[in-house]
Amino acid sequence: MFTQFGATAESLSKASTMVFRIGTDAHLYDDPDDVNIAPLLDSKFDSEKCEALKRLLALIAQGFDVSNFFPQVVKNVASQSIEVKKLVYLYLLHYAEKRPNEALLSINYFQKDLGDTNPLVRAWALRTMAGIRLHVIAPLVLVAVSKCARDPSVYVRKCAANALPKVHDLRLEENTAAIEELVGFLLNDNSPGVIGAAAAAFASVCPTNLSLIGRNYRRLCETLPDVEEWGQIVLIGILLRYAIARHGLVKESIMLSSRDLENIASENGASDTYQKGNEDSNAYFGLKESNADLTNGVCKSEVVDIVSRSYLEGPDKYLSKHRCADVLSSELEGLHFTSAKDNEDIKILLLCTSPLLWSHNSAVVLAAAGVHWIMAPKEDIQKIVKPLLFLMRSSNSSKYVVLCNIQVFSKAVPSLFAPHFEDFFMSPSDSYQVKALKLEILSTIATESSISSIFQEFQDYVKDPDRKFAADTVAAIGLCAQQFPKVANTCLEGLLALASHATDGEAIVLLQAIYSIKAIIGKDPSSNEKVIVHLIRSLESIRVPAARGMIIWMVGEYSDIGNVIPKVLPVVLKYLARCFTVEEVETKLQILNACGKVLLHSKEEELWAYRKVLSYMLDLARCDLNYDIRDRARFIKELLSCYIGSSDTEEGKAQQESRDVSRVLAGRIFGGQIKAPSSEQFSARFYLPGSLSHVVLHAAPGYEPLPRPCSLNFEDPSINSNIVEGAKRPGDGATQSESYTDDPDSVSGSLNEESTSDYSYADSIGGSDGTGGSNVSSSLSEVDVHKEPLIHLSEVGYPNANPDGGSHVDNQYSGSNNLGELISTRSLESWLDENPNSGHNLSEPSSIRKSSARISIGHIHGRVEPKICALLDPANGNGLSVDYAFSSELSSLSPLLVCLQVSFKNCSTEPMMNLQLVEDNKRQDSSDHASAMTESSSHGDVPSLVPMEEIANLGPSETINIMLQVRFRHHLLPLKLVLWCNGKTYPVKLRPDIGYFVRPLPMDIGVFSAKEAQLPGMFEYTRRCIFTDHIGELKKGDKPGTNDQFLVICECLAVKVLSNANFFLVSVDMPVSANLDDASGLRLRFSGELLSNSVPCLVTLVLEGTCFEPLNILVKVNCEETVFGLNLLNRIVNLLAEPARG
Amino acid sequence: MMQCIFLLSDSGEVMLEKQLTGHRVDRSICAWFWEQSIAQGDSFKFMPVIASPTHYIFQVFREGITFLACTQVEMPPLMATEFLCRVADVLSDYLGGLNEDLIKDNFVIVYELLDEMIDNGFPLTTEPNILREMIAPPNIVSKMLSVVTGTSSNVSNTLPVATASCVPWRKMDPKNTSNEVYVDLVEEMDAIISRDGTLVKCEIYGEVQVNSHLSGLPDLTLSFANASILNDVRFHPCVRLRPWESQQILSFVPPDGQFKLMSYRVKKLKNIPIYVKPQLSSDSGMCRISVLVGIKNDPRKPIDSITVEFQLPPCVLSANLTPNHGTVNILASKVLMFFDHTCSWSIGRLPKDKAPSLSGTLVLAAGLERLPVFPTFQVGFRVMGIALSGLQMDKLDFKNLPSRPYKGFRGLTRAGEYQVRS
Repeated sequence: MFTQFGATAESLSKASTMVFRIGTDAHLYDDPDDVNIAPLLDSKFDSEKCEALKRLLALIAQGFDVSNFFPQVVKNVASQSIEVKKLVYLYLLHYAEKRPNEALLSINYFQKDLGDTNPLVRAWALRTMAGIRLHVIAPLVLVAVSKCARDPSVYVRKCAANALPKVHDLRLEENTAAIEELVGFLLNDNSPGVIGAAAAAFASVCPTNLSLIGRNYRRLCETLPDVEEWGQIVLIGILLRYAIARHGLVKESIMLSSRDLENIASENGASDTYQKGNEDSNAYFGLKESNADLTNGVCKSEVVDIVSRSYLEGPDKYLSKHRCADVLSSELEGLHFTSAKDNEDIKILLLCTSPLLWSHNSAVVLAAAGVHWIMAPKEDIQKIVKPLLFLMRSSNSSKYVVLCNIQVFSKAVPSLFAPHFEDFFMSPSDSYQVKALKLEILSTIATESSISSIFQEFQDYVKDPDRKFAADTVAAIGLCAQQFPKVANTCLEGLLALASHATDGEAIVLLQAIYSIKAIIGKDPSSNEKVIVHLIRSLESIRVPAARGMIIWMVGEYSDIGNVIPKVLPVVLKYLARCFTVEEVETKLQILNACGKVLLHSKEEELWAYRKVLSYMLDLARCDLNYDIRDRARFIKELLSCYIGSSDTEEGKAQQESRDVSRVLAGRIFGGQIKAPSSEQFSARFYLPGSLSHVVLHAAPGYEPLPRPCSLNFEDPSINSNIVEGAKRPGDGATQSESYTDDPDSVSGSLNEESTSDYSYADSIGGSDGTGGSNVSSSLSEVDVHKEPLIHLSEVGYPNANPDGGSHVDNQYSGSNNLGELISTRSLESWLDENPNSGHNLSEPSSIRKSSARISIGHIHGRVEPKICALLDPANGNGLSVDYAFSSELSSLSPLLVCLQVSFKNCSTEPMMNLQLVEDNKRQDSSDHASAMTESSSHGDVPSLVPMEEIANLGPSETINIMLQVRFRHHLLPLKLVLWCNGKTYPVKLRPDIGYFVRPLPMDIGVFSAKEAQLPGMFEYTRRCIFTDHIGELKKGDKPGTNDQFLVICECLAVKVLSNANFFLVSVDMPVSANLDDASGLRLRFSGELLSNSVPCLVTLVLEGTCFEPLNILVKVNCEETVFGLNLLNRIVNLLAEPARG
Repeated sequence: MMQCIFLLSDSGEVMLEKQLTGHRVDRSICAWFWEQSIAQGDSFKFMPVIASPTHYIFQVFREGITFLACTQVEMPPLMATEFLCRVADVLSDYLGGLNEDLIKDNFVIVYELLDEMIDNGFPLTTEPNILREMIAPPNIVSKMLSVVTGTSSNVSNTLPVATASCVPWRKMDPKNTSNEVYVDLVEEMDAIISRDGTLVKCEIYGEVQVNSHLSGLPDLTLSFANASILNDVRFHPCVRLRPWESQQILSFVPPDGQFKLMSYRVKKLKNIPIYVKPQLSSDSGMCRISVLVGIKNDPRKPIDSITVEFQLPPCVLSANLTPNHGTVNILASKVLMFFDHTCSWSIGRLPKDKAPSLSGTLVLAAGLERLPVFPTFQVGFRVMGIALSGLQMDKLDFKNLPSRPYKGFRGLTRAGEYQVRS
């Protein structure tokens, strides 16, 4: 093919590059390892170091692992050459996590660089230090960040804001409060550049802590236009969330319009004063006013309603609720809302986002448009239209995303985009996806006035070389024709012509054409008789089975319409009968159906002929190879037996009656009025405009719907005065030093003042009560990451309670012998002292005063899986296997009962009958007796086993799960039960697990310590054991996100404990002085309370040893119930010591 | 936020990877991506957002180079797309184009640029003027220097002062020997002409490009004589929005050098400069084609660089086309793994004596009587010295300048998406 088109573009481009490569780094990329890199790194010339580093970078770029050069590269961090430094940083960031020990060697130099006079050097040092991501240096990074947050250079402050998410990503719980405070501080900065980065930090650190925004809301709005573009994108979203959480939705907005159906089009037309240049669009509005809501009004309110609810609740939640029952209908009514005309906060938000619609960054425009879409009064929404349309010209990639958003906007309010239909005409550079979206939008926004031009376009698209697109166009034509009956006739003509000219390769277009015709005819069959006849005539030429099937369906469905069809019917049926055997399966089925229908509707005189045809075809079908067809034939034969076999006259009356029944039945099945499927099922999911989730149509991780309106309530009127105060507060270290004198007393004084007067904590706790409602239960089942900071905020005062005042720096590092070797305390101190005024004036340094840091591992609950024990072996139980697992659910009947998940599985081939578990009555007395001795018998009337419902039937290989509630009389002795099955009995023993005699008792670390202090001496029991599970886990290599050794160990331990006992994980602490491989001092705390008498029970695990060795664990239990406590201790020690399953 | 950026060559090779956060993205995702784009073809190639089994991938395709950004969490997709476009712009500006060799040859600069442009997955410095001060673009002098002396440093050791100023797009106090400013109106005309020859849509997408070499911190005001014809606008960050809102005046402190001050759109135009009339008639396995080109509404300026391009439908076996003016090339361009046969007829300037025409025959694949689909003709042209939208600049005023600079104005109109259906 195309032999004469010899010259390809490819071969031309290959020819001519070698000349230009002289003097570039080309040779380094092409042969990075043709020299020995190691000696170059040790060279004393910067240029040779540079070359070596470039070669390493080339190897990284090509995907090779060159981490073995790490020690040599790290040494060069001390280089004075700025280029060497930069290259080292690039290398370091790539491998630091892999080689943590060596990476620590560089910390010293970073600290030195942080004091450099060149802001660029400071910024680079901070960025690299924060990017190294090691738990042990997190506190140091935090100190560095808080120092840099007060740097005189805007660029450094910006990098400080960017570093916050990196520190937060380490999930050191202890730092959360300090990080959030820094975010708040940086949001207060007076440089717009910093505010943008701080907004990004806010979004990734504490997106729900909206009270931080409340302080600065007005100021943030006002600086918004000056913030750099990337920050604007994030900040717009944050401000929107705040405004909704604070004030609720705007009552004039689209979101609340579903109950208030006013004519948007006319409003827009009247108040369209946005720009003078659009006389044409006004003219369109004039035309549209009359019919816009007639055609689109109904669907519009429905969609708007779903859209607004999806935004607020997340579509998954909304849809699931919607399916159960329509309980929601009144829920939105109860929401608070506000008015954009009266509310200053909303006004200023809209005012400050509207110039952003002119931004040259398309993401900013879309974000600003989203705010207006949700918050602006309906009549002002018009202003987002043109900017959105303009976005489509910016780049091919953003076109698709913008169209995805316009699609939803236009579905909800078609009149918005209706005048601009020309913008959605295809251009040759559009990809298929873009074209498909444009088609859909076009058919949504078509109006009586624009439909003719749109059809002109559609006719051109049908001839497009992309046949899939052509088929989509045909479908769109069908949709439009159904909407606008006036044009239906022209459409039909066009479609018929298309159907008759379609060639063999065009199955997809042909099929869609027939389908569209069918849909249009369905609207008004009687006036389209000619079309049906035309189609029937073309049966001969159309060979696509599905298309034939549809035409034959029409033959059956409309067999009694008009004059012509009944006349041609006999011929058609004979034709179908003749070609029946060569048809495809789906066509055959349709032929049978159609014959049945024809027979049903036929008049007396033709009945005989049709009956003959049908029985001929049924005979053929009975011998068909496909059993669907044989089935269908049998079914039709039965159903229509009264029509087929009515020649017999000797039948009795009873049969006559059953015939009447089947006559009615047949009438119902074949002649029943088929309702067209309701126009559109809105199973479509809507996500916030401009979000990733909206483009991929599922909730991406981290997607949050809008906050609940008015969930953020400020009781105190101080908020306004605080805004003033916040604005006054200077952001520069230079000016700040004036307000803090050199007097050490005033430094510590300001420390306390900062944290006590900081109203935001009280607010956010109140806020969490309002939104969470059930914090306790949610933290049990699935920990909501975003709520964590709120919960832990109460601890802020905690470090301050330590009375060690100003000398904390010494205290902190006196014990840190390991780290001290690597990082000289002196350099840190001198660096801190260098600028004491700015270094001490917030409470972050105090947060590391404690000798440990807290790691948050909230997400492990998903990995907790209870252990399964066998109750009955299939070998002993004639193929019946019964397993049980302790469940963390609590019994609703009595606190003495423990819940078990019992699963019955039938491994045999025979069904089993009447399965039941009952108490072993013979032994009842003696065990009762024993229990009366040990327990306080106040609940003595609770049975050992809550009677279980009998399983009537258990089929082969079927499994049934049952929740069983059992009362164990003893912590350790098994409970004897009898299992009934098929009338036989099997004695079984249920072994208690002491770990499930407790229920989780959520508490924070403060309460834990207090309780622990109350249970000393004889209530405290300790034992040691060896733990090895983590080694395997660590060797499995770096899974994303958990490649920190400490994290892996802690997760291992926590999962193991929580899988075997029903505890609450209080905290995971890590000593700040930890060496990299040294896990000593890691501390996990669990709490629970006894089921029977609610006595609290505390468990503490303290680790000793190094990461890759078996760990020595000290287990400590504090509990008033001596016997229980000891038993529990033994149980925990045993379970920790036993190796992991699998 | 973005977790990783990959640059792929047009054969699917990963040329560069830059990890941005602690959550590393394995480069095997690129292999997955490439397999998918081979298996699914065109429609995948143009997907800007792809949900892979492990990550969400954002894709920007520029001149053979595929830019990928990966993330696992919710983020504004346009932010990633826009950022990748910005990276592509900056790179092609630095390297003087974009192709596999240029990127490989300058991979160190690409790394250094990426490191400045994005930090922890969030864009950091994207303003080209500042980047140029931080990292020097490669040029002949530095190349020669590095050949001769073996040393070169393209990393600046001072922080550009502009990062701290309230006009971050401008160097502080640049000294220019030339004191001049040029304002160009560069317009692209988009038009659709339907099969029956009627003008369906015609609009202009224009940019105000400014090339400024002014010393100090000048304050400029640009006004238009007929700003009301503008349908919609977008601005460079340096433009103050309030004056525009109230009086439609552009007030700004310009960056140094070349930049795009504003882009605008003018809709519903009625006049197109040239006509292209394609005629196709086909029977018995052959298709006769003839295309006529001529002036429709004379813009009273010379029209040059006229080209007509169309894709031969896949059912065409061979083509025999001859023009009476200009040259015809049939190129099999390979995009990913798919061949497209594009016929391009370059006319250049319209001859005075005759109307250019292209005629010939296409041979259809066996079994085809008639051509079932019709190609769309894309027309290219250029009109120097005029902005066809009719937008006129009124005056350009200066404040804060020691001496009156030299001002220059120009207009230029090109064909954008100018399509004629047959």
